[in-house]
Amino acid sequence: MSSESALIEAARKGSAAAFTDLVVNYREGLLRFLLTRSSSYADAEDALQDTLINAYRYLHSYDSRWRFSTWLYRIAINNVAKLKLVDTIELGDLGDEESDPLRHCIAESERQNLWQCARRQLSDEVYTAMWLRYVEDMSVKDISAILERSISWTKVNLLRGRKTLDAELNKDATDDKSKAYG
Amino acid sequence: MDKLARQLRKDADRIECTISPELDDRIRASLQGIQPEAAQAPHRESKSFSFWWASSLAGVAAAFVIIAIVNLQTPDPVPRAADTGPTPLVVPSIHWNVEKAVLTSPLEQEIEDLQSDLKKAEEAVRQDIDRLF
Repeated sequence: MSSESALIEAARKGSAAAFTDLVVNYREGLLRFLLTRSSSYADAEDALQDTLINAYRYLHSYDSRWRFSTWLYRIAINNVAKLKLVDTIELGDLGDEESDPLRHCIAESERQNLWQCARRQLSDEVYTAMWLRYVEDMSVKDISAILERSISWTKVNLLRGRKTLDAELNKDATDDKSKAYG
Repeated sequence: MDKLARQLRKDADRIECTISPELDDRIRASLQGIQPEAAQAPHRESKSFSFWWASSLAGVAAAFVIIAIVNLQTPDPVPRAADTGPTPLVVPSIHWNVEKAVLTSPLEQEIEDLQSDLKKAEEAVRQDIDRLF
C-alpha cells in the first residue's frame, strides 16, 4: 500500500511512468468490466484508455481515504455512460447478439455465462453492483460510493440481483438434471 | 463463499480479455502527452480571478445603464378604468346525495392484516440482508 501511495505522489508530480506502474494491475480487470458494459471490443478499449487518461489528469482529486480501485471504477462507469449516450444519439441500438463483445469473449461452454443473464435481466446499476461485489470483492460501502447510492439501496439491490441470478442458476441446474434423466 | 458467488467469479474468469501490445502502446503514448491537472492549477486560478473581476465590472456597468434608462423615461398617463359597479355573483346551489363512508370492521381487520404482513416481509428482507452482507 505504501508503494501505491509513493506511485500516486510521483504521478501527481507528472511522472507518467509512475502512473503506468500504478494502474498496471487494474487494467485487465477494468477492461473485463468495460467489455461487459460496452457495445463493442473497440469501445471497451477506448473507454479504458479514456478512464486512464482522466484518472491521470485528475489524480489531484483522488482522496486517499478510498481505495484507488474504487476511484478508478467511478471514472470508468462515467466513461461508459458517456459512450452509451453517444451510441444512442448517433448510432442507435447496436446491442444485438452478433455485435455483443461479451458473447465473443466468453469461452464456448454448454452452460450460459451468468453475466450474460445478468446483463439481460438486471439494470445497469444493479449489474455494476453485482460485478463489483462478486468479481472485484468490494465492500458494500465502496460500491455505494462508486454508484453514488446509499448503503441500504446497495444492500437491497444486491439482494435483488442475487435472487434473480440464483433463480437463473437453479433453473440451469434443473435443466441439466432433466436432460440427464431423459 | 456460497455457490452463486463462486459461479459468478468463475464465469467472470471465463470472459477472455487481454491488454494487447497495441493498446498498451496507445495508452502509454497518450499518457506521455498530458500533464496532471494540479501542475496547471496556479495558471488557471489567476485566469479565473481576472475573469471574475471583468465580469463583475461589466455587471455593475450594465446595472447603471439600466437604472439611468428607467429614470429618464417619463411615465405615460394611466387611463382610468370605467366605473362599472359590482356585478352580482350567482353561485348555483348543488344538492349532493352523498353518504359518508364508514370504515367497517372487516376493512379495519384487512388493514391490520396487511400491515402485519408488511412488517413480516420487512423483517424477512432485513434478516436476509444482515445474513448476506
